[in-house]
Amino acid sequence: MYPEDIQKLLEKQGIKAGDLVKIRVHGKEFEGTLMPKPESGSRDSIILKFANGYNVGLKIDAGFRIEKIRSQPAVAFPSGSLRFNPSLSKVEMIYTGGTIGSKIDYLTGGVHMLTKPDELLYDVPELAEIAEIRVNNLMSIASEDISYMEWQKIAKSAADALNKGAEGVIITMGTDTMHYTSAALSFMLDNLNAPVVITGAQRSSDRGSSDAFTNLISAAYLASRSNIAEVGICMHTGISDNEWGFLRGTKVRKMHTTRRDAFKPVNSRPIATVNSKGEIRYISAYKKVGDERADAKVNAVTKFEPKVALHKVHPNSSPELLDYYVEKGYRGVILEVTGMGHAPVSTQHAEYNWLGNIKRAVEAGTVIGITSQCLYGRVNSTVYRNARLMSSAGAIYCEDMLPEVAYVKLGFLLGNYSKEKSEELLGKDISGEITKRSEIEV
Amino acid sequence: MREKSFYKEIGFKCGLEIHQRLATEEKLFCPCSANMGPDQLMGKIEREQRAVAGELGAIDLSTLVESGKKRRFIYNLYNKGTCLVDIDEEPPHSPNKEALRTALIIASSLKCELTYEIEPMRKAVVDGSDPSAFQRSMLVGYDGHIEVKSRRVAIPSVFLEEESGGIEENDENSATYNLDRLGIPLIEIDTDPSIEDPVHAKEVAKAIGLILRITGMVQRGIGSIRQDVNISIKGGERVEIKGFQDLDKMDLIIDTEINRHIKLLEIKEELAKRKARVGKPVNVTGAFTNTNVKILDEQIRKGGIALAVKLEGYKGLLGMEIAPETRLGSEISGYAKTAGAKGIIHSDENLKEYGFSSEELEWLSKDLGIGPHDAFIIIAESAERCGKAMEMALKRAEIAKEGVPPETRSINMRSHATRFLRPMPGGSRMYPETDLFPISAADIAKEAERMKVDPDAIWRELEEEIGNRQLAEQMLWSKDLQLYKRIVKLANATPFVVASVLLEKMRELKRNGVDVDSVNEEALVRAFELYSRDAITRTGIEVIIRHTPSSAKEVERIVKEEHLKRITGNELAELVSRYGSGSKAEEVFKQIMLKYKLSIDAKELKSVLGVKDGV
Repeated sequence: MYPEDIQKLLEKQGIKAGDLVKIRVHGKEFEGTLMPKPESGSRDSIILKFANGYNVGLKIDAGFRIEKIRSQPAVAFPSGSLRFNPSLSKVEMIYTGGTIGSKIDYLTGGVHMLTKPDELLYDVPELAEIAEIRVNNLMSIASEDISYMEWQKIAKSAADALNKGAEGVIITMGTDTMHYTSAALSFMLDNLNAPVVITGAQRSSDRGSSDAFTNLISAAYLASRSNIAEVGICMHTGISDNEWGFLRGTKVRKMHTTRRDAFKPVNSRPIATVNSKGEIRYISAYKKVGDERADAKVNAVTKFEPKVALHKVHPNSSPELLDYYVEKGYRGVILEVTGMGHAPVSTQHAEYNWLGNIKRAVEAGTVIGITSQCLYGRVNSTVYRNARLMSSAGAIYCEDMLPEVAYVKLGFLLGNYSKEKSEELLGKDISGEITKRSEIEV
Repeated sequence: MREKSFYKEIGFKCGLEIHQRLATEEKLFCPCSANMGPDQLMGKIEREQRAVAGELGAIDLSTLVESGKKRRFIYNLYNKGTCLVDIDEEPPHSPNKEALRTALIIASSLKCELTYEIEPMRKAVVDGSDPSAFQRSMLVGYDGHIEVKSRRVAIPSVFLEEESGGIEENDENSATYNLDRLGIPLIEIDTDPSIEDPVHAKEVAKAIGLILRITGMVQRGIGSIRQDVNISIKGGERVEIKGFQDLDKMDLIIDTEINRHIKLLEIKEELAKRKARVGKPVNVTGAFTNTNVKILDEQIRKGGIALAVKLEGYKGLLGMEIAPETRLGSEISGYAKTAGAKGIIHSDENLKEYGFSSEELEWLSKDLGIGPHDAFIIIAESAERCGKAMEMALKRAEIAKEGVPPETRSINMRSHATRFLRPMPGGSRMYPETDLFPISAADIAKEAERMKVDPDAIWRELEEEIGNRQLAEQMLWSKDLQLYKRIVKLANATPFVVASVLLEKMRELKRNGVDVDSVNEEALVRAFELYSRDAITRTGIEVIIRHTPSSAKEVERIVKEEHLKRITGNELAELVSRYGSGSKAEEVFKQIMLKYKLSIDAKELKSVLGVKDGV
């Protein structure tokens, strides 16, 4: 938006962004298309697109004049719809927003999300030869704005689509919290009998080099052609455009802010990889389509306890914060502690000793789970004395489960089960989140 | 060269685009090294790209042509020269201040209005030369001009942008680029199309080059400056010729290109007279199974097909030479090649040489319905490529009826003719760079205004310093101007001596086969420093240059080994006294100089001996 006085001047003369205008500044005249003003630029300039395609910010001075030459056709992206072949596998694409469907936003000068996700398909005509894709425009929000209520919506939509005959589901979303969503869906989709593939993009789809296109194509291959009956994330495995992974929804984490191969399997290997020809290579054991009874309906078990926290324990961190959670009625706290599962419990300074606070929290009925900041590897409650103390105080050691996954799991458990049952299940594998065997990665 | 009036008559229009790499430490949008020094190849990545819509919604034709090729792009990654930003795995950092300042100084020197708020843009490029599929570019100055021999040419725009990746390998399926070059700041200066004739074009290019050089903030050496020339004549369309590196041939190449335009317009007229028409493709694969035409046979044996098309009224025109080694036929072939074909066969060629039998030619004639003024073309390729290639070829044949197509072309340095590269890109290649804020340039602009350069003022300064107008002018235009300035400053050497060594002595030594270009700059500075401290003589400088030292340290070694240490003052007086009295001074002078010509300054010796100058 232009400052109010300029905006008024424009309105008075019936000038809109997109009009061809003549501007007089610094005693000279310039012709060009008036561009909308992003909120980020300086307040005293007007943005003109010159005939050569370049935008420039011209300083508005005392002699500023603007005159409309003519209106121009509205700015619109080419649109169209893909014609799908009904003999191909039916795949439901649930669109939720995120970078994958982002285009330029004049309001902020940054990128915004598409409101018509079909535009995304138009950019990737190859999809028409892979599957018969139906788009469900569920929502359009950034993944950092997603809460458990959106997980519930997505889980229900996925279950619905599968129960109505879809042979696979693609969920497109922002990448920031994609691994939380993948974990949530892994727990929430019971009796799953088809691939649920979550994908997104690290670079927006308005650039020719975006990973959005090939991520979508690969997700479509996996959703329509694989026999994996699990929830997983499909993104690049490396920074070349030649291989994509299907990473188990409970064993995956975003490990880079910007790279296209940001998602890495942690304490596991990919379930499968797919190349640009659509060839799927299965790598580790997985639940197959057909493992469930064919007539079993997918059941979306979506209750979730929001009063669960994930808390990082670091040198100098005060155990009082745990008391705060208890006081505020939190029913569970996952502690992300150091090393093999150690919080400060034998300190020289009483104010930093967590042992008593953990004990009191457990006694108050709060479920305490222990995970490691190392992310890679397993926590262990018996090797060191400090861990033994914490375990005796009632903290539950979560094996090789990722802290974020443990958090989502505890919310899911407390939402659907009793406290006792939740405690029993937290340290046990229910959806691939805990592996018994630590495979060697070379 | 033709008369100037000739160019006026044909409606000659010509503008320049000059691209010059800036000499910053770091790249424009990341802290990678920008000097392309020795680096280590760290690995390769492989990418795909596709056409996306521009800001105004359209997908540019030139972008589609490249994208239609569906090629894989391979990028070489370097240790110091490539980071995540270069491969589009991290958003750009804020633009390099030094580059911005330099760009604004150059824009200011070209009398431009400096952009108040710079809006970084993306220019779509789908030839793979940038892993992000666009080049970041900013308009930093506009509405400027330059005056050359009292003819004024407008400079409508000055851009600061990213250098593209350097191509290493290129074939129909893939292209490999080096990413050490990508992202180096590059300034683009455009003139308006008011250049009056080819010689004028050359003069303007030189004058702009001079301004760039005298800022002292631009890279030097091969590839660091490139000129593109836009040309059109009345009745034709604008053609962009890319990649002039050698200004000497610029006028000749432009003239050759003008001839091509004139011929294309003649062809247009002739086609109109003949009511020419482009036919539809006919599959003639069946007629050429087991043919002696090698090109066809090879493709058909591999399962490919052959398509032929009648070009009604084109006879004789396909084979007409429009520029050295260039015919309408080869232009059509250039279009077919963009779709991956190896080329075309056309009926104005010697078909017998291809191996066509009379029978085959008769069949073709009959199948296509060839009349006395008609021509035909044939393409043989794999089935998927052939149709597309023919479509492109026919597009070009069709445009022949309109005259000169708007194209981007490259230069064949041997024939001085140009070759089709791709259709001219349109305006829809531009897209705002959403990852960056607009840049408020008001403060840098003020600084740039103060630091702008003026060749005439520098010439005057040099003249005063050197004390010789001609040497000063040569110095101004010399590629060694910055070196001269450095030596004068660092070595505290007499400007006249530095200028005459750099301009005259170097030229003389080069003519005598000394590889003067390989003399290290630091070594030169050291040599002059020794000279100005009276530690060596002027002849000593020459000896050092002859040894083409690669470092300042090496200079010290040469001085020792060649006994260049100057004998001066008391030492010289002592030496003279040893030659005893009695002998004639002139005789002593000759004897001493014969033995010590490298280490004694003749003038000083004369004054010690009391010999008059001129002996």
